[in-house]
Amino acid sequence: MGRYIFVRVMQGIVVIFLISVLTFIIMRMMPGDPVYLLFGEGKVRITEEQMQAIRARWGLDQPYYVQYMVWARNMLTGDFGDSLIRTGTPVRQMIFEAIPVTLTLNLYAMLLALSISIPLGIWAGMRRNSFVDYFASIVSAMGIATPNFWLGLMLIVIFSLVLGLLPPFGLRSWQGYILPVIVLAAEQMAVVTRVMRSSTVEVLNEDYVRTARAKGLTERTVIIRHAVRNALLPVVTVIGFNIAFILSGTIVVETVFALPGIGRLFTDSVFRLDYQVVQSLFVLLAALVVVVNLLTDLLYALIDPRIRFD
Amino acid sequence: MKNEKQRKTLGATQLDRRQFMRLTVMGAGATALLAACAVPTETPAGGDTGAAASGAGEAAAGGGTMVWLGHQEVASLSPDDDGPDIQYVMIRNIHSPVVYYNEFNEPEAVLADSYEVADDGLTYTFNLKQGVLFHDGKELTSADVKYTWDYYRNPDNAAVSVGDFEGVDSIDTPDDYTVVVNMSSVNAASLANWAEFCIVQSEYHAEIGEDAYKAAPIGTGPYKLKEWRAAEFTELEAFDDYFMGRPSIDVVRLDVVPEDSVRMIALQTGDADSSAWPLLVEDSLTLMDDPNFTVYSTPGNSIKHFPLNNTLPQLSDKMVRKALLHALDRQRIIDDLWSGTAQVAHSNISPSSYYYRDDLPQYEYDPEKAAAMLDEAGWTAGDDGIREKDGQKLSFTCTTITGDQARRPIAELVQLMLSEVGVDMQLAEAPVASILEGMRAGTMDASLFNWTYCTNAVEPDPFSTLHSDGGNNFCNFKNDRMDELIEQGLQIVDPAERKPLYDELQAIFVDEVPCLFLQFDNWLIPFSNRIQGLPVDPTASTSYYMRASTWTLSGNG
Repeated sequence: MGRYIFVRVMQGIVVIFLISVLTFIIMRMMPGDPVYLLFGEGKVRITEEQMQAIRARWGLDQPYYVQYMVWARNMLTGDFGDSLIRTGTPVRQMIFEAIPVTLTLNLYAMLLALSISIPLGIWAGMRRNSFVDYFASIVSAMGIATPNFWLGLMLIVIFSLVLGLLPPFGLRSWQGYILPVIVLAAEQMAVVTRVMRSSTVEVLNEDYVRTARAKGLTERTVIIRHAVRNALLPVVTVIGFNIAFILSGTIVVETVFALPGIGRLFTDSVFRLDYQVVQSLFVLLAALVVVVNLLTDLLYALIDPRIRFD
Repeated sequence: MKNEKQRKTLGATQLDRRQFMRLTVMGAGATALLAACAVPTETPAGGDTGAAASGAGEAAAGGGTMVWLGHQEVASLSPDDDGPDIQYVMIRNIHSPVVYYNEFNEPEAVLADSYEVADDGLTYTFNLKQGVLFHDGKELTSADVKYTWDYYRNPDNAAVSVGDFEGVDSIDTPDDYTVVVNMSSVNAASLANWAEFCIVQSEYHAEIGEDAYKAAPIGTGPYKLKEWRAAEFTELEAFDDYFMGRPSIDVVRLDVVPEDSVRMIALQTGDADSSAWPLLVEDSLTLMDDPNFTVYSTPGNSIKHFPLNNTLPQLSDKMVRKALLHALDRQRIIDDLWSGTAQVAHSNISPSSYYYRDDLPQYEYDPEKAAAMLDEAGWTAGDDGIREKDGQKLSFTCTTITGDQARRPIAELVQLMLSEVGVDMQLAEAPVASILEGMRAGTMDASLFNWTYCTNAVEPDPFSTLHSDGGNNFCNFKNDRMDELIEQGLQIVDPAERKPLYDELQAIFVDEVPCLFLQFDNWLIPFSNRIQGLPVDPTASTSYYMRASTWTLSGNG
């Protein structure tokens, strides 16, 4: 087990290093010059010397390999550099302000999604081709097919504009979390319900379930003790996978609901060529994916005692 | 009442790390969240849906929170960064300029009692008001003004505003309340450029430096900074010792809401009082008909245009560029795609400017004439219907801004109009930073965006866009006479003497057609009628936000 973890961590470090190099190259290959964006339309005179002075101040006049080395060395010491566009603000501060927002949203969304979709998926799996099953299929198909963007706007129209119950944007109160959490949960709920249903169906056909029933156990015990635990395995995979993709879902939700999370920081920074922010975010996310994947694999062993990593 | 109460409750619960932890612990079960969903109907925040109702408890005079909405983060609060409108409305309420052009485009002294421009345009003398206090309690003196202007015009400090101080040689402070600026060369745009530059508290700024100052400014404005979260909101509170009297409204907050339709909804629900960045045009028109809102429609200074790379062989002949303009039905673009809220451009200078010339030839929509002009210029239809000359196709690519849903349809319609006269315009998309650089460097053919081809409504200088050395010469336009006129125009201070030069300059612009100029958009900004004391029919955009200190909120007395 210890050896397994050691190998995986080493692999992870290589992955993170490669990602950092790739991100750096991709950002520099993107056409455009962030220095131009510092000038508003109102600035009448822009001279080449002025541009050079600003580039020099941000180290952008150095050769690429020097820029990379400086950045990588600083990253290792926990200094993510300063944002160019939000001039002078430490990138670390920007990221650590944004992380709680995104994390809280996703945590609640996942709790909401799991608490509904796991029972629903089991129920649908137990009563195949019944009304419940069809209902669950339709709901999850809708959840997958509905664009986050549209769902978010519709919820704002209904709950803010028409009913006046919830704020249309922002996190100035806990009520602000409700709509974005529902939107984020809708998609996850759909995926998890489907996975839970099909794995329940599969597990219920297994020999050990038949054996359990033959022993005369109550249906309740059969389901909870024998079926559900095994059926959960694929769901853990899906959740682990989803965590890695948290960012893609929250970009839309954070934009619609004006939430200052990682997703918006990321898109804003890419569009404005804020090199330091994008590079740092990429490396942090790569690290997150590596860690989550490792944890998911270890969690398998807990749920399924047959899995051993020796 | 609902909104007032909501704001008060909400003000106390902003998400900091402690809050986050508490929330996370609190909501550790989904049941907690589900239970929470049911709560709002019982709380005062959601209980009263009558947005216009005003409570008896709130009848006290003054006070309240005024909420404005922006579309992107407030990246800095330094006067050096007041270029983007959204930052401008915050920076200009924290700081004051010495003089500025107000919402009617008239020069107005703010920190100065009076000012004087020497006849030769080489000396500017400002007599400062006495007893003006900074937010830290220190009094404003000429040293602060000198320090500010000297700091931002010094190339070593790498400020983005350096170019605004063109022509400034030295700044003298004969006494505490007099500032004399000596010019090395005349710069007629002085008042519009550097004299409007907001003043910082010199000792404080020198001590903490520009980088730290961007997050913690100290000015003489009506509002001082309370809390700044770049991507979320910027909150200002009334400065008790403001030299023109304490503002009536206690708190001004700018919330960042990127999504246009959500800004509209927030205005309708009463969660916000104004959107400092325009809404979608259809939404602005809806609010114009709504008795609860006042929508300012001021003529913009920027032209919505297709900058063309004038150095491309297929676009270098002005006959071709003129023909392209004749091929465009510009009124139809405005009517069909911009809900009629713009006017066709016939010059580079805004129609609201004193220097605007209205007797110039106009390019009416006439595809036949366009075709004839292209024939005459030697571009004849090839096998595929696209015109060509000497093996060169009359084809170019227009790169629009990624995700620019408002302007992209215009590019598509223009593509169609041009194809009818045998011109092929391909469409592509790129982020704005790539486009600005690509057009400046001449590596892109064409684009579509709004940009000002004169400084503003009061200052006609187009150096940056039309001078061959201009920093924003997107068209790579080079015309010797144009360069001469721009340089001469800046040497004369008297408007009446300057005008003939700008008459000729506009004639060259219209004759050369460096870009396909479409329209001057109206700048539509909505205000809730909850705000009292708004200026009546302003003619300049954005600067009316500098009047915020004189407004009051109804429902607050």
